[in-house]
Amino acid sequence: MERRKFIQSMFAATAVAAIVTPTTIFAEEAKKAAKKGPNDMTFDEAVKAITEGKELKDSDKIKLTVPEIAENGAVVPVKVNVDYPMTEKESVTAIHILNTANGNARCADVMLTPANEEAYFATRVKLSKTQEVVALVALSDGTFIKAGKSVKVTIGGCG
Amino acid sequence: MAEARKSMIKIKPKKYKVGDTVKVDFIVIHPMDTGMQKDKKTGKIKPAHYIDNITFSFDGKPFTTMKVWESVSTNPYFSVKYKITGKGKITVDYTDNQGEKNSKSKKVKPKG
Repeated sequence: MERRKFIQSMFAATAVAAIVTPTTIFAEEAKKAAKKGPNDMTFDEAVKAITEGKELKDSDKIKLTVPEIAENGAVVPVKVNVDYPMTEKESVTAIHILNTANGNARCADVMLTPANEEAYFATRVKLSKTQEVVALVALSDGTFIKAGKSVKVTIGGCG
Repeated sequence: MAEARKSMIKIKPKKYKVGDTVKVDFIVIHPMDTGMQKDKKTGKIKPAHYIDNITFSFDGKPFTTMKVWESVSTNPYFSVKYKITGKGKITVDYTDNQGEKNSKSKKVKPKG
């Protein structure tokens, strides 16, 4: 090979390498960032998705029962009772259970009907660390109310 | 492919009359993987596998529907209330994000 061609090819190779390396690093970082859950959502995004920008009030009509301290974050019992009539005219249409610090802020959406007679829902959720559990309740007149309680988690439950 | 999952419907209290409001508990044995945990044997990340839709119905009429995400615990438990209107069957249909479809039903026999 001629000396000139050799040097030219060397330059080309280094130039390509210089371009490629930073992009590959970025790609890896992007991969790391994307290594979260499949449907991650922050708490604010979740609230926006549910209420669609409508007014959201704190209310003492919702009785949210969660343990103050959860030893095991993988199993945290959550119970919601809403003191609101369940008739054809006015009823609780949905109870949403949200968390503030998990990857995905939404735990469960429960659509209720007057056949339920009482607005009640209980389940068990996973909490990754100490955070707040929020019950967001949709009423039939289109308004939303919420209540939240913080839970201390000693061992996280999200693997 | 989907093997039949173990599940259970409980009506509390056990004795009830027409017009009573009872708790309907539904428990299913399901891993509820978040898609972030590693499999301890293979060291690979387990794909997300969780129940996403649940429908409670009485004689074919749905009375409660749920959308569920991976933040719900392994072997999940769901409880709602329901007013007994007569004899019939409570059925719970549930699907998960990997396309498994299952259902479980329990007879409702009010006394008195």
